[in-house]
Amino acid sequence: MSIRRYLVLTLVAVLTLITFIAAIQGYKASMSRAEKLFEQQLVDFAHIVKGLHQTFDTKDQQFVALNEQTSFAFQVWQGERLVSQSANTPTKPIMSLHKSPTHFGEVNFSGQRWRAIYYTDNNQLNAFKGKGNSLVIIVAQPLKKQFLLAQEVILAAVTPMIIAIVLLSLLIYGIITQGLKPLHKLTSALAKKRSNDFTPLELNVDNSELSRVVTTLNQLLARLNLAFERERHFAADAAHELKTPLSVLKINVHNLSQELNEQGHNHPENLIKPLTVSVDRMGHVIDQILHLNRTNPEQINQSKQPIKLQTLLQAVIGDLYQDIANKQQTITLTSEELLLMGDELSLHLMLSNLISNANKYTPQQGEIKVSTKYIPNGNNQRDSQNKTAQIAIIIEDSGTGIAEEEYNRVYDRFYRVGGDQHDSSVLGCGLGLTIVKHIVDIHGGNIVLSRSTLLGGLRVEVLFEQNLDQNLPLDNSKLNSPVSCEEKTDNKDERD
Amino acid sequence: MRILLVEDDQGLAEALQQSLIREGFVVDHVSRGKLALTALAVPSHDMVILDLGLPDLDGLLVLKEIRAKKNDLPVIILTARDSIDSKVKGLDYGADDYLAKPFDMQELLARLRVIERRLGTATSSLITIDRVSLDTKAHKVYLLECEGAIEQPDINEVHFSKKEFMVLKVLMENAGRIQSREQIESKLYQWGEEVLSNAVEVHIHKLRKNLPDKFIQNVRGVGYIINHPQH
Repeated sequence: MSIRRYLVLTLVAVLTLITFIAAIQGYKASMSRAEKLFEQQLVDFAHIVKGLHQTFDTKDQQFVALNEQTSFAFQVWQGERLVSQSANTPTKPIMSLHKSPTHFGEVNFSGQRWRAIYYTDNNQLNAFKGKGNSLVIIVAQPLKKQFLLAQEVILAAVTPMIIAIVLLSLLIYGIITQGLKPLHKLTSALAKKRSNDFTPLELNVDNSELSRVVTTLNQLLARLNLAFERERHFAADAAHELKTPLSVLKINVHNLSQELNEQGHNHPENLIKPLTVSVDRMGHVIDQILHLNRTNPEQINQSKQPIKLQTLLQAVIGDLYQDIANKQQTITLTSEELLLMGDELSLHLMLSNLISNANKYTPQQGEIKVSTKYIPNGNNQRDSQNKTAQIAIIIEDSGTGIAEEEYNRVYDRFYRVGGDQHDSSVLGCGLGLTIVKHIVDIHGGNIVLSRSTLLGGLRVEVLFEQNLDQNLPLDNSKLNSPVSCEEKTDNKDERD
Repeated sequence: MRILLVEDDQGLAEALQQSLIREGFVVDHVSRGKLALTALAVPSHDMVILDLGLPDLDGLLVLKEIRAKKNDLPVIILTARDSIDSKVKGLDYGADDYLAKPFDMQELLARLRVIERRLGTATSSLITIDRVSLDTKAHKVYLLECEGAIEQPDINEVHFSKKEFMVLKVLMENAGRIQSREQIESKLYQWGEEVLSNAVEVHIHKLRKNLPDKFIQNVRGVGYIINHPQH
């Protein structure tokens, strides 16, 4: 939950709750206050009726019927006799006659419920004691009327509060949004940043807390950048430092063998061969360690561009062809010109490790098949909606392959198939597949090992998602047509 | 042939000098980029072997400087830097060839010989691989017949068209390195020839018919190659 949402929701909720509690309290207090007010009103009315009754002659027992509709009803009793009444009252006493001076009560007549007051003049009661003609005044007001009135008053008081809540909620939302704006700006600036982008954040925030955060972040980025640069330079320096002495060693071995040849030494190669092998092995290990260090995600992601896969494969096979020819192996490339988004350097490294492995672990006169496949609607379960196309690179050989239980271990650093029993005559240091896996992972690809049904050896399938935009100059689907004709000419060539 | 060797590592320079002198080259060695430019101010060298990692001046800058003076002196680059990136850059700047350290001496010598033949300073304009000899100057191809006595082998000239000769020359000059169809095509274009889509296949077909079996090998899907006999 975002800070903004949290703040707005909690503040509005708390505000509403407290206002309602206050409103309920106010309602209750107002109601009881109104009740008292109405009672007072009834008492006053009774006094007025009494006053009026006394002003006019009370000895003539006249009957006054008020015909006008009022919200009040009254009866004046002199003893057992009804002296005057309002039109909306029956002729029976609406309230039982008590001897007590004042009495409040609720009564039913005329189809309504009324609040009534029974009022007797104490003095008169005493004066006419025993004569049975004490003056009794009963005044009533409909309960419904009272309630409606009270409610109207209370509602008039509460309504502004409800409107205030709505207004306050809007205000709170606005203020919090405004207040969190710098934080929001910082978040979106950070989100836009690529993982390899170490440039300082260019953000103007005027509040002191955030400006400190931005400064600290920028300092951190600068330090990261420095460390990153240092690491990269270290790899390059190390390469130079190690490769040059190795070259010296190599050329001196060559010179030595020439010298021995000139001196007419018998079988100089017996002396030279172990030296050459060791030097080559050393060179290989140095190369692989540097490659492993150099294939870091930041650098690879930075230099991603569309790569022509067939051209790349041709170059890799070309580089390795001497080794393949030395073992009299046959290599074939079945490919179409596909575009693959990636870092050329590391893809070159990956393919060269894979094909070199095929060469190393395939016996003399063996066979290596390299092919590429374009899968238009990749059966990728992860996002089947997107239907991203996939590119597969398949490398098969007729070697002994790898046992299935070792498939997971071959990616470990310095692990070699068979462990200590590994054929030590094969040049290698157990880093090749580690590097391959690393590069495949960085490119978001997948590597699958299996047994080749065609050649019987290892089958390595590397799958990459085809993540190129449509607006690129070359379209894979268009590239398919010329390939088939190349295949044909190739076949014809073979038959010659 | 007189070579200027620009290399700051003393050990490597000495070893290289020794090797090259043994092969009959005259070698001058400088260890700084500026000294190299001074030495090249007087046109006394036939080619340059240039290390990229020099302490005073980047090798690529030296190369740029050489090319800026409209000097088409052949340059071979040596580098410990990472292959593809520096390679592309080096070739963009006008280097003739490129070798990554640690390299095989045989490889360097092979590339020097290609340049030598191109400059016409080679003692022989003949490239001989297996039983096939190609005269780059006279534009002729000879085939040594097996039946002849070893002392006096029969040498027969094989006639090829101009384009066929060019394709064969590309392959023989780059013996041991696969040449893709595109690479051969681009070489034909360089010589100002019209190239049909399947021209290379047709030429190779014709060449194979008249040359020993398996002399030109096809690496399916990759290209063509003539192997060194020692391999």
